[in-house]
Amino acid sequence: MTPPHETAVITPAMVAALCAIVGTDGVIAGDDELLVYECDAYTLEKHLPGVVVLPRSTEEVAAVVKLCAEHHLPIIPRGAGTSLSGTVLAVTGGVMIALTRMNRVLEVDYRNRRALVEAGCVNAWVTNAVKSQGLFYAPDPSSQSACTIGGNVGTNSGGPHTLKYGVTTNHVLGYEMVLPDGEVVWLGTTPDGGEDVDGYDLRGAAIGSEGMFGVVTRVLVRLIRAPQAFKTLLGVFETVDDASQAVSDIIGAGIVPGALEMMDQLITQAVEAAYHFGFPLDAGAVLIIELDGLAASLDKQAAQVVEICRKNRARDVRIAKDDQERAELWKCRKRAFGAIGRLSPNFITQDGVVPRSKLPEMMRFIQRCSEEYGLRIPNVFHAGDGNLHPLILYDERDPDQVRRALAVSDDI
Amino acid sequence: MNLRPANKDEVAGLLAAAHVKRARIGRLDLGAMCRVLEHAPEDMTVTVEAGITLAALQQQLAPRRQWLPIDPPLADRLSISDLISGNISGPRRFGFGTVRDHLLGVQVALADGRLVRSGGKVVKNVAGFDVMKLFIGGEGSLGIIVEATFKLLPLPETEHFVARRCDSVAEARRIIDDVLDSPLTPSVLDLHNVGCEPGDFQVVAGFSGAYEDVDWQLAQASGLGFIESTTLDYERVFWNQPAATVQRHSVLPSRVTEVIGELGGMEFVARAGNGIVYHRGSTSTPAASSIGALARRLKETFDPNGVLPSITGA
Repeated sequence: MTPPHETAVITPAMVAALCAIVGTDGVIAGDDELLVYECDAYTLEKHLPGVVVLPRSTEEVAAVVKLCAEHHLPIIPRGAGTSLSGTVLAVTGGVMIALTRMNRVLEVDYRNRRALVEAGCVNAWVTNAVKSQGLFYAPDPSSQSACTIGGNVGTNSGGPHTLKYGVTTNHVLGYEMVLPDGEVVWLGTTPDGGEDVDGYDLRGAAIGSEGMFGVVTRVLVRLIRAPQAFKTLLGVFETVDDASQAVSDIIGAGIVPGALEMMDQLITQAVEAAYHFGFPLDAGAVLIIELDGLAASLDKQAAQVVEICRKNRARDVRIAKDDQERAELWKCRKRAFGAIGRLSPNFITQDGVVPRSKLPEMMRFIQRCSEEYGLRIPNVFHAGDGNLHPLILYDERDPDQVRRALAVSDDI
Repeated sequence: MNLRPANKDEVAGLLAAAHVKRARIGRLDLGAMCRVLEHAPEDMTVTVEAGITLAALQQQLAPRRQWLPIDPPLADRLSISDLISGNISGPRRFGFGTVRDHLLGVQVALADGRLVRSGGKVVKNVAGFDVMKLFIGGEGSLGIIVEATFKLLPLPETEHFVARRCDSVAEARRIIDDVLDSPLTPSVLDLHNVGCEPGDFQVVAGFSGAYEDVDWQLAQASGLGFIESTTLDYERVFWNQPAATVQRHSVLPSRVTEVIGELGGMEFVARAGNGIVYHRGSTSTPAASSIGALARRLKETFDPNGVLPSITGA
């Protein structure tokens, strides 16, 4: 075994052996090309893998893993590299297995509402493949137009609609995994099997394990019926406190929105500058509140939400007038991280959850941290879940800013 | 011999002693550990001692118009520990899911007497290994659940059940497919023959939620022939019989009627939307598991001295 943090050596013979498995066009070993794979969207730490392989089938993955096991080389699976937590850092070098060429939707079973996809299949492609039949794949990370289902399994991804629909583990019925010795197993429900599986929920135990138990190669996902109707509201608040209280009150009133998102002033300004939706630039915070389900009760629910917002001194509550405006609003929200470039060359984000009732307190704490460390910290997050994403802005060219960014990140 | 520990430390103590003696522990009665430890209505979470029955928990949540949306049979006799360990579900699983969709965290007494936590108390928690999942349906073979935290839902404003009678599995199939192809979002989609004339079946659909939504769905459902108002009494009748143990099949939902055709008139209740068939009578052979070796290694790691029971079907 390679001792921790000692970089594994990839010999030319090893590269040749890998080429024999996945073909020469499936192996990346040149230093300049490897740079692409030195980190994910957490850019503060970087490690070059020794070599990257791009297999096209489970058999190729299994052969690569078996070869690595025989030579005691560390492996690390990688999807699209969009994670924000260093999930796919090749800390000890070794062989990175990028699943991006295994990107097909293999089968859709409409009657049983499930789809079998390859691990490198892009999240949004699943919904695109089935939406004509009124179905969708619920977990919707903001990176869904790029991130892969295999990566979602690795990180147990959620998204804005997690509030109502749950995270990846609630929507993955089963998957094929190549174990560290090269053995191929299927965990959970098989494509032609029932949803209750006897024995331990190994599928559940390995979701979110960041590839540490094996390489996921094919995934059986649950599809659900697309909501009949949506009502998407934009609540404009003078202060983060008022917006946070409105979040608590909405949940407390027994309303379960599909999504309930908050953007504070700094991020709203950046998003507006980038995408020109028409967000107010002087508001303390905005809430995006999406109600979904059967059309019959949505008006009543929307009226309730408007009333709660007004009670919490909302300056304005707007309702998206059509599907296009709704899509625009979500595009802005999901691309919010992309707008950060307008504020700062670099950012790191924390991803933590607090009880919803503690949101106001936590937001005040983050504000104090921002002042104390002299770094701007905009917030765009899943307020309905109490799931915060404080974005700590810094410039990596300034070592003192890097030090402060890490310190404040720790505090938060 | 049944042991009745007063609290989780006693559970841990009993396990530690058995671990040292390499003795199988007797069945524990957790009935004395029946408190709701923390209910945060504004956060819609609850933490309980695992000996509380599901019915007692629901009773304590109801005044705040909340519930744990899991509805297994015999909830007044079912402890939360057994609910989780058995991964037990009921008819509303079609609309609300199963234990793993609502459980946020557990505290478990391991076989050697250590008390450990997995998961958390917030509504979303994807950090670290999701070890908690191993205890759901783990039949108490890896540890004994002593505390659990769930996320809750608001109680539906109203709930209504309707039935449509049919006299062949083929017709049942068509009716179920009609519901699945419609815009309806039933919380229950069952097929059963409890109390039916021989050869007859009933398809049952349940609607839970806001008055407006339920009314609209009832109107739609009547267009599909669901004109008879009904209840879930067939559940109670089916599970309350003292007769032979209930067998369970889990199949592709589209294969439910095929399985029922093979039962030859035996009494059954099926979750048609989920592909689960329960019946009494002849035994079914459990499906062979390809991951038996992994399961055995887990068991040996968690319980090297064989203090806890083994799990079936692994």
